[in-house]
Amino acid sequence: MKEEQLAEELICLEDMAKIYDTGALKVLGLKRVNLTIRRGEFVAIMGQSGSGKSTLMNILGCLDRPSLGHYYLDGVDVAGMSSDELSLIRNKKIGFVFQSFNLISRMSALKNVELPMTYARISRKAREERAEELLKRVGLGKRIHHQPNELSGGQRQRVAIARALANNPPLLLADEPTGNLDTAASLEIMELFTKLHAEGTTVVLVTHEEEIAAYTRRIIRFRDGEIISDQPNEPHRPGIAAQVEKNTDFMEGEG
Amino acid sequence: MLIENMKMAFSAIRINKMRSFLTMLGIIIGIGSVISIVSIGDTMRTMFADLYKEVGLTQAYISIGYWLDDVRQSDYFTLDDLERVKEVFGDEIAYIDSQSYVSADALYGRAKVKFDFQGIDYNYQDVQPVNIIYGRYLNEGDVKGRRKNVVMDVKSALQLFGVENAVGRTFRTTIYGSTDEYTVVGVYKKDLSPFQAMMMGQSDGGSAFIPYTLLTWPNDYFYAMRVYAKDDVNLDDFFGRLKVFIGRLKMRDAEDYYMATAVEEMGMMDSMMGGLSAAVGGIAAISLLVGGIGIMNIMLVSVTERTREIGIRKSLGARTKDIMIQFLTESALLSACGGMIGILLGSGLVSAVGAVLGVTAVVRPSVVLLAVGFSALVGIFFGMYPASKAAKKDPIEALRYE
Ligand SMILES: Nc1ncnc2c1ncn2[C@@H]1O[C@H](COP(=O)(O)OP(=O)(O)OP(=O)(O)O)[C@@H](O)[C@H]1O
Ligand SMILES: [Mg+2]
Repeated sequence: MKEEQLAEELICLEDMAKIYDTGALKVLGLKRVNLTIRRGEFVAIMGQSGSGKSTLMNILGCLDRPSLGHYYLDGVDVAGMSSDELSLIRNKKIGFVFQSFNLISRMSALKNVELPMTYARISRKAREERAEELLKRVGLGKRIHHQPNELSGGQRQRVAIARALANNPPLLLADEPTGNLDTAASLEIMELFTKLHAEGTTVVLVTHEEEIAAYTRRIIRFRDGEIISDQPNEPHRPGIAAQVEKNTDFMEGEG
Repeated sequence: MLIENMKMAFSAIRINKMRSFLTMLGIIIGIGSVISIVSIGDTMRTMFADLYKEVGLTQAYISIGYWLDDVRQSDYFTLDDLERVKEVFGDEIAYIDSQSYVSADALYGRAKVKFDFQGIDYNYQDVQPVNIIYGRYLNEGDVKGRRKNVVMDVKSALQLFGVENAVGRTFRTTIYGSTDEYTVVGVYKKDLSPFQAMMMGQSDGGSAFIPYTLLTWPNDYFYAMRVYAKDDVNLDDFFGRLKVFIGRLKMRDAEDYYMATAVEEMGMMDSMMGGLSAAVGGIAAISLLVGGIGIMNIMLVSVTERTREIGIRKSLGARTKDIMIQFLTESALLSACGGMIGILLGSGLVSAVGAVLGVTAVVRPSVVLLAVGFSALVGIFFGMYPASKAAKKDPIEALRYE
């Protein structure tokens, strides 16, 4: 019974706290967070600016380590790991999508998507094939050789999502993925996340917008580094999105 | 992965062409000068080796020490001394003479050419062969009989007589105050490189061999003996014993005699060139050092500029080692490119110098490989600090960098 439960839990935070030591003054980024996210969940994290959302995402994404407490990812405590061990985990288990896309300029969409596979030591041919397939999946089959500056914001974010999926990670984290996009592009991205969730990927995203959070199945709200509410959500997609889905079918259309 | 890194490094270098070139400059100059100095040194060394081979590596001069204050006439040599040496060391000596030269005007009709007459024994041909193209070499009869016969260089023959085949022709010249008629019995040809000609002090005038018995008379004292040992003789040992023998013969301390051997001279020349190379090599090393520091500097700039890229790569799973190798590849490539340009520059300089000296100067492939390898090493060494700085960056801070 216990083991089954463990296998289901992808993320488990136990009394996790993050303290930023800025010399003279210690800032409490997160205080005593207890949180469990199971495989296949679709979670939105909300809260006002400075409430600790990014801090949490960085820890979940193994970019940062908790100051106190434990973080079990896939049953493994990552709190005491070396930076190279964390790199390995980021490479294999986590796909990160950023607000500012964070594509490497001067590298084509294809090369950007290949990067995580390069670090996983996957052969060039296999890498290229999979990168192309992923770009097709996010609707950019005709843009694989474009540089980031030749793509729109929404297209860039789709490249970033394709890159996040490169090594087929169980966990997809997105910190305000639609923060730099207009409404139409935001909804397209959310459709994509919905589809990925439907295919079994665990998705955790940060957003300020209720409309975006509405796509998810669970909404966790933060204030001053603490969880103030954690509720299931009945996903409902706004009218525009339904329209987008109905008449363009953009994901298959281009690829 | 390596190929990937190389491609990335190339594109990084290409993006900042001017900056990359300026960064390479130190390496270009350093490697360029190393290549040219080493190659020019090499060439000079082979040229000198050739020159000494021309002179004869078994050769030595013996004379009374120039540093002595109490030199008496009896310290100089006579033909009797020469004969004694021949008797005692006959098995080891290939050739010996009184090293005699005389410069005099040769007259033929209205032609007048200044000649250097070298007094030789008939077997000089064994140690310093020349190519006889007309007539014959001097023979034992010429030397023993003190006949006024000469063997002339072909260019000199042309100068004096207007023909190459001057065998049988006679000319007049005045040696030691007596004007006589001399007969050409042979004409020879000797090809020298411009460098050899320069170093051997060939004059514009004519040159000819003449029996040494005409220049050194039975009761004359002469200054130096010229000896060629046989090829299979242990030179150090033989010349040592020869010196001791001469000391005893002349009733002098052996150390009062001065002996100059071709081998020693060549060694001196070699070490002089070596010293020169080392000095210029030192300057080149400093320029490589400065070049390396330039690379380190630009790599530090590059690491700072690309902080965000480093953050992205780390967030995607790049390990410390991956980032390190990426930047090391870039600095090594930058430096190696500089090295290659330096090689091109250096080779150009070397062939230019070679053309001036009239020899074909070559840049050894091993030197080229070494230079490229070394410049890459310089790049790796000086890229180490920037690369480790990049690799150690905290991913979150790097991602937040604007
Ligand atoms: N590197 C840091 N050093 C010091 N304090 C930090 C650091 N990063 C975050 N903080 C502090 O931790 C708290 C939480 O910050 P965080 O970035 O997680 O907020 P957020 O919820 O993501 O806000 P936003 O919605 O504006 O992105 C803030 O008070 C912030 O000032
Ligand atoms: Mg944030």
